[in-house]
Amino acid sequence: MASLGGSSSSSTEYIVRVPKNTSKKYSIMAFNSGDKVNCSSWTQARMERDMSNRRMYGVEETEGAAGSEFGKKQREEARRKKFGIVTREFKVEDQPWILKVNGKAGKRFKGTKKGGITENASYYIFTQCPDGAFEAFPVNGWYNFVPQAKHRTLTAEEAEEEWGRRNKVVNHFSIMLQRRLREQERGPDDDDEEGEKGGKKKKKKGGRGGDLRIHDLEDDLELSSDESDSSGGEDGDSKPKKKEGDVKGKGKKKKKKKRGSDSEANEDSDDGDFEGLEVDYMSDESSSEEEVGEEKAKSNKEAVPKGIDEASESEEESEEEKQNEEEGKEEEEEEEGKKTPVQTKKKRDSSGESDTSEDSDIDGEAASALFMVKKRTPPKRGGGRGSGGSSRTGSRPGTPSIDSASTSNTLRAAASKLEQGKRQVVGGSSESPAAKRLKMESSSTAVTTQSPAPSGKSTPQPPSGKSTPSSSDVQLTEEAVRRYLIRKPMTTKDLLKKFQTKRTGLSSEQTVNVLAQILKRLNPERKNVNDKMHFYLTE
Amino acid sequence: MSEKGEVDLTGAKQNTGVWLVKVPKYLSQQWAKASGRGEVGKLRIGKNQGKAEVEFTLNEDLTMIDSLGDKPSGVQAPRDHPFTMQTVGGQTLAVFTETQSGKEQISLEGLVVQRAECRPAVSENYMKLKRLQIEELSKPVRLSQQLEKAVTTNYKPVANHSYNLEYDRKKKEEGKRARVDKQQVLDMLFSAFEKHQYYNIKDLVDITKQPVSYLKEILRDIGIYNVKGTHKNTWELKPEYRHYQGGEEEEEKETND
Repeated sequence: MASLGGSSSSSTEYIVRVPKNTSKKYSIMAFNSGDKVNCSSWTQARMERDMSNRRMYGVEETEGAAGSEFGKKQREEARRKKFGIVTREFKVEDQPWILKVNGKAGKRFKGTKKGGITENASYYIFTQCPDGAFEAFPVNGWYNFVPQAKHRTLTAEEAEEEWGRRNKVVNHFSIMLQRRLREQERGPDDDDEEGEKGGKKKKKKGGRGGDLRIHDLEDDLELSSDESDSSGGEDGDSKPKKKEGDVKGKGKKKKKKKRGSDSEANEDSDDGDFEGLEVDYMSDESSSEEEVGEEKAKSNKEAVPKGIDEASESEEESEEEKQNEEEGKEEEEEEEGKKTPVQTKKKRDSSGESDTSEDSDIDGEAASALFMVKKRTPPKRGGGRGSGGSSRTGSRPGTPSIDSASTSNTLRAAASKLEQGKRQVVGGSSESPAAKRLKMESSSTAVTTQSPAPSGKSTPQPPSGKSTPSSSDVQLTEEAVRRYLIRKPMTTKDLLKKFQTKRTGLSSEQTVNVLAQILKRLNPERKNVNDKMHFYLTE
Repeated sequence: MSEKGEVDLTGAKQNTGVWLVKVPKYLSQQWAKASGRGEVGKLRIGKNQGKAEVEFTLNEDLTMIDSLGDKPSGVQAPRDHPFTMQTVGGQTLAVFTETQSGKEQISLEGLVVQRAECRPAVSENYMKLKRLQIEELSKPVRLSQQLEKAVTTNYKPVANHSYNLEYDRKKKEEGKRARVDKQQVLDMLFSAFEKHQYYNIKDLVDITKQPVSYLKEILRDIGIYNVKGTHKNTWELKPEYRHYQGGEEEEEKETND
């Protein structure tokens, strides 16, 4: 090492060596700056290759005499060569690394190899030796390490659903909560799946068994995140929600059991069988249930002794829920209806049983909790969907008419009671029976909300303090407008926005007309806010 | 090995700092030619008015560039290479090593504290070198070449190909397949069917070395011919002769003559 003194600069020279005989291979472990990784804080670390991509070719065929052909392997190989199928070799050096830091509770990283670093230029690591010289080692590989999420994430399908509802769902904590609840429900049903995967992962895997889920972390997830999930939603808001979620969970158990068994059968479906079939998932209903709030919890528990009034209040919410449940269930059955007609029949039976609860929500409420579990036709949903709806309605042509005939007596009684107590809400109610709905949809007449249901059933719609409808249809009823105006002052434009033409099935002109009529009848109070005329009602 | 996968963290704990230097391809090639202890050059680090200047000087003996082909290139690698120093940025770059031999041990050597790029000082030599490289790269991978004479060495007309002659000889030597005892054939067949369930007639002929018609007769007795299904045109044993649960008793497969 020589020191040369230059003009106005001092420099030192070091010898550079490139050792020839190293048995060590150098690689770079790159972390993202955002992850704030501090290597010196690691107490212990384990790193192994991720062998999950290794496919054992040829071992898949049955070994042994039975079922095997002479020379099958060679023939298969010849066939693949003929078609030019080239299977990439599995190179261990190119596989990603799995790095676990600080044991089981610590972080996990996955390091994927970055290609092309040795193509045009080489990287060398210069380290300084004790004798002052530099040693340069060539870099063999560059691996980018990313932390692996331990918390639970949504699968691709779930994520897509949630994306569709992003404007409506306010409480995001509930999304994962519902998912977990759903899996808990499914857990008891999927016994075989549980058995396979072992006790610890039971909860998580139970849900997996139900649908075909594409999930990267399936094997690596640990159960501790269950708690962290709930801790995520720990602010005051979600606590009551969680509670009611539990309540609902119990209430839903019965129904879900059936659903669980349904969903198991779903596994057998092939891709493409259900393309184009618009399905409503359970999560859809669950979000609406969320918004329903405590009232739902109450109604769940005290279905039996509830008076008519109370029933009518919460009727709409529960009705929505029921519709959702039913609809969701119907969807599932619908799908399997293709394979297991028994199920659809079962549904028909159940709906036949629950005639009484079918259209008049009041009745259903008053009857018992059992009725709530049973499904009802979700006519609203049936209308709202495209192909799904039509196929569904196609599959149950007879039921509505049967139902209507038998329930008219009790319904009339209930209806008259209601009429006394509440304002009569006209026509196109969300509780309209399937038949009426069908008629409405098929004839595509403007829902003259004034006229009562033509099917011989009057289903007065008591107002309810329901919050935003979860999805699809809102009927342009006086009741609905009333609700909105009570809640907050709105301009006509806002009101129109609420009753979008797609959802009510009316044309824009009709909507305007109907809305004008309703407003005339309601005669709301006006006030000017920001130079705009707002309507509002005080109740 | 209980230690497999365990990462040796001494480098990280000591916070060993290393440099990550990007080196041009030709230079790394020259370094590969180093002899002895591997000395390749000198690194001069200086502080010039506050800024650090780093320069690498290649050893004299390593400047000869070998080019492809026979002629000496006459090009010399440039000797001076200033380093461009860069910061690591927010990224954390760690260096780990794996030992190959037998016991695979992964150890963390250290963290990158400085990144640098080794650039050649622009000189006449360098330009020549670059030109050489470009010439080599621009050569097409495939080349069409015109031949002066037609190629006549490949195929010559032959009365009978040697391969064919051999084949005929082999056939004659083998002779027509002789029918052996039916019992023997059956034994052969049963042992074959022990190994696999489905056989092609051709394969069976090969195995038993019997004439086809004779073999077919026997097969018709003890086996069935699959026309449809996955195993297209294959023979398999009749169910009563089958015994595929493992542990075959051949005595049971005695045929009734």
